[in-house]
Amino acid sequence: MSGEGKTESVKRTVIATEAMTHLDHLYRVALHLAKGPADADDLVQETFVRALAAHEQFDPGTNMKAWLTKILYNFFFDHYRRNKRWLAAEDGVQPEFEHWQHPADLNSGPESHVLRKELDDQIVQGLSKIPEEFRAPIVLVDIGDFSYGEVAAILSCPIGTIRSRLSRGRKLMQQYLKAYMGDEEKIHGKK
Amino acid sequence: MTCDETQEIITGLLDGELLDAERASLESHLEECPDCRLAVEQERRVKRSLHASAERVRAPSALRDRILSDRRIFPEQNRRRWQDYLWPKPRLALPALAVGLILTVALPAFFLLKPKSEPIASAALKTYRLFARGELSVQRAENPNELVEQLTRAVGGHFHPMGYDLTAMQLRPVAGLVRDIQGRHILIAIYQGRGGTLFCYTFFGSEEDAPVDAAKFFDPVKKINFYAFSQDGLNAVLHREGEIICILASEMPMENLLALAKSKARPS
Repeated sequence: MSGEGKTESVKRTVIATEAMTHLDHLYRVALHLAKGPADADDLVQETFVRALAAHEQFDPGTNMKAWLTKILYNFFFDHYRRNKRWLAAEDGVQPEFEHWQHPADLNSGPESHVLRKELDDQIVQGLSKIPEEFRAPIVLVDIGDFSYGEVAAILSCPIGTIRSRLSRGRKLMQQYLKAYMGDEEKIHGKK
Repeated sequence: MTCDETQEIITGLLDGELLDAERASLESHLEECPDCRLAVEQERRVKRSLHASAERVRAPSALRDRILSDRRIFPEQNRRRWQDYLWPKPRLALPALAVGLILTVALPAFFLLKPKSEPIASAALKTYRLFARGELSVQRAENPNELVEQLTRAVGGHFHPMGYDLTAMQLRPVAGLVRDIQGRHILIAIYQGRGGTLFCYTFFGSEEDAPVDAAKFFDPVKKINFYAFSQDGLNAVLHREGEIICILASEMPMENLLALAKSKARPS
């Protein structure tokens, strides 16, 4: 291998290695876009492949997490949506409101992990039910910890739109999770 | 400002994305409007629950393995596979095949007879799970200074545990211990709080104490190498300050742990 080729190989490896530290984040985002864990796995793996193929576009020292997330989103929009392998509000069954509104504090299991599991399930279900235009900003801001500016760049839309969709999306989630609000405090033992 | 107008501004407030003027208007409205104060609290709970729930989600280890073994991502020359030792390349076919056949017999015997040497970082991390199961004897401390003094005294003052202030992450030091692993003293400071549990290991060593499969990152500002690795659902980041090795271990996401280690590390 030539010196230049070796340098290129090292650069690729450094980027691939650093990208691995964002694996959990990418998986969480993918999980709320793809139809199931298997599709989420494929989405994340393809994101890595595309990132490495375009590694020269990454400027070391800049925000790799945002760069990878944008690649994931672009791939999701270009391919998964076309093949209808993504979550959409109209795809699933309607929310089971009776079950959701069952107060969590009546649950016979006192351990926090029971509450936690129940809340986690409801959040996954809730996110799967709200329209994608509201879900994406929630996933990126509340789960991905991105700023509005970063989300606007990832989703290619104005910052004002991000805030508006976030506000409406959280209202929808609030309705879905009404019976469970406060469980985080119970899980952590906060009065 | 009307209650309808505040809705999106409340969202911006919770995300720390308001301009000063917007914030001032909203705060003025909130002082007079209990309904909107309630709306702030409800949206805050939704945001907090979403965030906490997501933090409990980890990428499956099978996915991690798939990516690590994908040649489009990690080219073959950067990896060592056990198959390479037993399945020679075609140009070396005949002689290598002979060696390979011998190795297929000799290797199992070699590995069976060879004493297993676990990387000290991996061995140290096992104390995290022991602590979670209540099987680790620790020294409780009333305050951080007392803990540092106790641990330093336990190793004859030869070195100090890394004393990080993690209150911003809602973590405070609660206990510590000294563990002898592979003939070396390991100081362990345990942080707990609403931010979860974090272990900070300190010991004399070198960067070779990082597991061989750890991902290495160089921070060009601090000029420090960081080694990230995972084990039994735990994430860990190792770095060196002079002759002292520090490992931070926690169940928090790797990117957060790595950012924490980078922010706290001091160039030697």
